Amino acid sequence: MSARSTRQRQHGRSRIPLVTALAAALVAAATACSSTKTTGGGGSEVQLVDAGKLTTCTHLPYEPFQFRKGKQVVGFDVDLVDLVARDLGVEQKIVDTPFEGIQTGEDLNAGKCDLAAAGMTITPVREKNLDFSRSYFEATQALLVRKGDTYGSLGALKGRKLGVQQSTTGEEYAKKHAKGVETVQFEDLGLLLTAVKTGKVDAGINDNGVLYDYAKKNPDTKVTAEFDTGEQYGLGVRTGNDALRAQIDKTIKKAKRNGRYDALYKKWFGTEPRT
Amino acid sequence: MSRRNRTRAVRTAQYGVLVLLVVAVALAADWSELRRAFFDAEVAREQFPDVVTTALVNTVVYTVLGFVFGLALGLLLALMRLSPVPPYRWLAVAYIEFFRGVPALLVFIALGFGVPLAFQVSINQYVTVMLALGLVGAAYMAETIRAGIQAVPKGQTEAARSLGMSSSRAMVSIVIPQAFRIVLPPLANELILLTKDSSLVYLLGLSMDQYELAKFGRDALNQHRSLTPILIAGLFYLAITLPLGHLVRRLEARAARAR
Repeated sequence: MSARSTRQRQHGRSRIPLVTALAAALVAAATACSSTKTTGGGGSEVQLVDAGKLTTCTHLPYEPFQFRKGKQVVGFDVDLVDLVARDLGVEQKIVDTPFEGIQTGEDLNAGKCDLAAAGMTITPVREKNLDFSRSYFEATQALLVRKGDTYGSLGALKGRKLGVQQSTTGEEYAKKHAKGVETVQFEDLGLLLTAVKTGKVDAGINDNGVLYDYAKKNPDTKVTAEFDTGEQYGLGVRTGNDALRAQIDKTIKKAKRNGRYDALYKKWFGTEPRT
Repeated sequence: MSRRNRTRAVRTAQYGVLVLLVVAVALAADWSELRRAFFDAEVAREQFPDVVTTALVNTVVYTVLGFVFGLALGLLLALMRLSPVPPYRWLAVAYIEFFRGVPALLVFIALGFGVPLAFQVSINQYVTVMLALGLVGAAYMAETIRAGIQAVPKGQTEAARSLGMSSSRAMVSIVIPQAFRIVLPPLANELILLTKDSSLVYLLGLSMDQYELAKFGRDALNQHRSLTPILIAGLFYLAITLPLGHLVRRLEARAARAR
């Protein structure tokens, strides 16, 4: 055996402990950093991912349901979840996350948040991924165009560009019903609305609540059509998190009874809710 | 035309093309629109001080966390890559090829959801960022460090061994310090890349006090419907990366002198 290979062998023998020690140190560091989940007592007790806080996943902006005003996130959904938080005796903490993580339920499964409040329609597909509270808002899809334009239906947009928001019911509706229309996908509502306003797309489809709100604040745009989709918004919780879902339902029910809900509705939409 | 004249003519033409391009772009662009969109003083003022106290600070914190973890893991991988034990080498090569070949965006999404699902723990945000940025950075840094270790002359190890050092001691005290001296410039380069990759943190979901520069700029864009915050965020990235670039050049010059 040559001198070189002997050296290599010694080299290798003594280097293994170094490598394993480093690996062990890294694993130890990683596990030491991971925080534990709050484990409450009985099965009916509400468990929170971050103790003392009701963590909400949402996707900004979705005015007037949730959007930034100065240094705070405000809106109809925010106020509604605040009621739930108050009933639980905790504060609400809001996390802004891409919408696909919300509607696939993965944000909830991954323990990123306790509930999702994102102006989200209850759909059969989403119900497979997460559990919804009782409905707290009724919505339909609507079409936003610039003032001078007259596209009043999806048919009129043939050969034109229609802006949609990624992973939304509006996108689904457009895919199904807008034949021969070129759809352009945007990641959030803010980008979609700006695209309509600047003429990057000829029209945008989204929920009526947010589009009417935008048209009111931006007189160079208008809503020309509503498609009667009869959608219901729900707050989402992780599949099987019945304790929190029951608490949300209780709070919504209470708020509808004692007039709190109507007051919030008026505050953010300027009208009383239709009954 | 003489050769010298021809050279001069070609050079003049090159300048001419450049001037023409600049003039054409300047004339074609709608400057009043651009000024309205990108240089809105009022919107710009509103971004302060949060763009510094929150966004810039978070970008730096995320980057440093990712870099430190990536450097440690990169060193480990480089040693594994050079290990005489074949399975260690295979693991290191597989790791490097995988994380170098997959977009950082996908790593962030997979890690943000995958780790909590796999281990049923909700992980601290900073730890997730550190892991995601570090895992990506480590793949590049491992190859850099390996090249550095191999660039240290063999005589160094041999001399250390003949002085009675064990081979791991020789590696830690003699080879690795010299290797790091060699790889400092490319490591600083990696730090610049990680600074920009930290913009992907938004995929993990952020509360407002966790916004970094890119997310901060996008959020303000949505809020004000003005591109000014994007410009400001970009300038702050440059405020980090330009000094780093300068540092890289200084280190390279020093390495060239030392050689």
